[in-house]
Amino acid sequence: MKAIKIQLWYGLLGLGILLGLLTAYRVLVSTGFVLYAKTDILVWTMPIAAYVFFSLTSSGLAFVSSIPVVFGIKRYQPLEKRTAFLEIAVLFAAFTCLLLHLGSPWNVVYYLFSPNLASPLWWLGLLYGLYLIVLLLSFRKIHKAQVSRGLGIFTLIIAIATSTALGWLFGLPDARPAYNANFLAMYFPLTGFGSALAAVLLFSLAYHHFAKNPLSEGEKNLYDDLGRLFGYVMALTLVFFIWRTIVGGASATAVEFAGFRHMLSSGWYHLALWVGLVIPLLLLAMSSVRQATWGKVVSAALFLVGMFAGRLEMVLSGLVMPTGPKAEGQPPFASYWPTIWEVFVFASALAVLLFIYTLGERNLKLSEVSE
Amino acid sequence: MPKYAMVIDLQRCVGCGACSIACRNENNVAEGIYWSSKITQTSGTFPNVRFHYLPTLCNHCSDAPCVTGCPTKAMHKMDNGITMHDPDKCIGCRYCQYNCPYEVIYFNWQDPHKFWRDPQPVIEGGTSSPKEMAQKVNNGNGAPYSNPARGKTLPENRPKGVVEKCTFCDHRIKDGEIPYCVEACPADARIFGDLDKPDSKVNRLLGKFKPFRLKERLGTEPNVYYIRSYNPANYERTKGGI
Repeated sequence: MKAIKIQLWYGLLGLGILLGLLTAYRVLVSTGFVLYAKTDILVWTMPIAAYVFFSLTSSGLAFVSSIPVVFGIKRYQPLEKRTAFLEIAVLFAAFTCLLLHLGSPWNVVYYLFSPNLASPLWWLGLLYGLYLIVLLLSFRKIHKAQVSRGLGIFTLIIAIATSTALGWLFGLPDARPAYNANFLAMYFPLTGFGSALAAVLLFSLAYHHFAKNPLSEGEKNLYDDLGRLFGYVMALTLVFFIWRTIVGGASATAVEFAGFRHMLSSGWYHLALWVGLVIPLLLLAMSSVRQATWGKVVSAALFLVGMFAGRLEMVLSGLVMPTGPKAEGQPPFASYWPTIWEVFVFASALAVLLFIYTLGERNLKLSEVSE
Repeated sequence: MPKYAMVIDLQRCVGCGACSIACRNENNVAEGIYWSSKITQTSGTFPNVRFHYLPTLCNHCSDAPCVTGCPTKAMHKMDNGITMHDPDKCIGCRYCQYNCPYEVIYFNWQDPHKFWRDPQPVIEGGTSSPKEMAQKVNNGNGAPYSNPARGKTLPENRPKGVVEKCTFCDHRIKDGEIPYCVEACPADARIFGDLDKPDSKVNRLLGKFKPFRLKERLGTEPNVYYIRSYNPANYERTKGGI
């Protein structure tokens, strides 16, 4: 029975990956990017939002794994291996989204042959390349029970660099002040950390559930501790979220903020605020719920759903208002709803993540604690 | 080395759109893409309304955000000041579109000139299909009226998955000709020239009138200048009233 369940699970993940391959064929080879709900106004949509979601979660996971490895807080050691592996799996999900976003991904070789050091996108390419190598090396060390603090520090530095450089990337154009580089350079690492805590709670508790491995007293205390930390990060995220709303939605007068003001009435914004922040925060504020496994799982899942919606809202907020010649004959704001192909991008990235993670969970003893 | 710029005289411009049509023909611009475009606005409240027309194109900014952001230098500055794009290096990330404050860069979402790949004849058994016609005229390379001269410095038809924009007709400049939108303007409202020649026509106009450029506050230093404005209206001298 168990073998059938596993085969079904792999079949489902294989289907997700196949959908990604089909999408790649349709957009890159046959039909083109008209399959996405992108236009020359909405040049970035769900695939980029998904990329931001996964890549920041991966950076956040590096912050979580640095707690025992870099800062030496021993009680977090049981999370070390799973978190380190999850970083790699989530990063591959981010790469999947990026690959399905790029119009000519084969020209990425010019990152090497024709680098533009002034471009945040070039730096991100370099940093993510380094990040992947360092993560693989780190995990190899952890797997061999030879945890390297030096590699841990290096991973942490690169994770800080990637998450803050992503803020620089979005905030580069002065013409789109709704993306404030200074704000995003703080908001991105914070929310990445929150997403990572949610992911660690979800994946760890799922492991205990599916492996029929009840939590020991020590593990229960650890996850309670993690739940509390998750609550603090969520509360801080809500404070940032509210200030972003006040500054961009009420006090800013520049016409470029009209797109953001428009997004305040969108479902994505309210999903991010209520489902992603307010409800899970209220759940975690109740001690009995916070300490219950279901309470942690539900609040983590809600936070991740809200965070994804928030990434999409953020991407759209700076683009949704057409300007210049592209505003000719257009309504004041572009409307957006993802096409099935854009949903496939997200689904295939998630399938890649879960496939890699399942392989790791089954073969690499992710619950192992190194000395 | 010259530094090319364009002056657009809004008093001469009649808003006929010949610049945009000429641009499409010269550069084989596909459907949905506009290297040469316009911003139109109306001001006032009916019945006191007025129509304003502003021709637009790539501003070939001296400090171009699209060039700063491009990770592979596909979007780059040439020595003569033209902001040029190399589709062979373009990864199709659309970061240049995201960065351009003037919204003048377009992405090829699909293979260009879709209409000319349609195998369906207009009248079955009576006419050839668009695909057959394009095949007979130029081996199916884009539209039948495709201009091969464009292929001197860029692919004659840009493929899907890369961006494109105005190049100041760099292929014509190379041959000592002015951009085709300038050539085609029936009102001589577009004046092209070298800013590094103190006595060039563009410098004379910039010295004579108070020019403005789009979104100057952003510091991108556009090289498309606008002078004068079209407004023949007069009004009775007044101090208004309460």
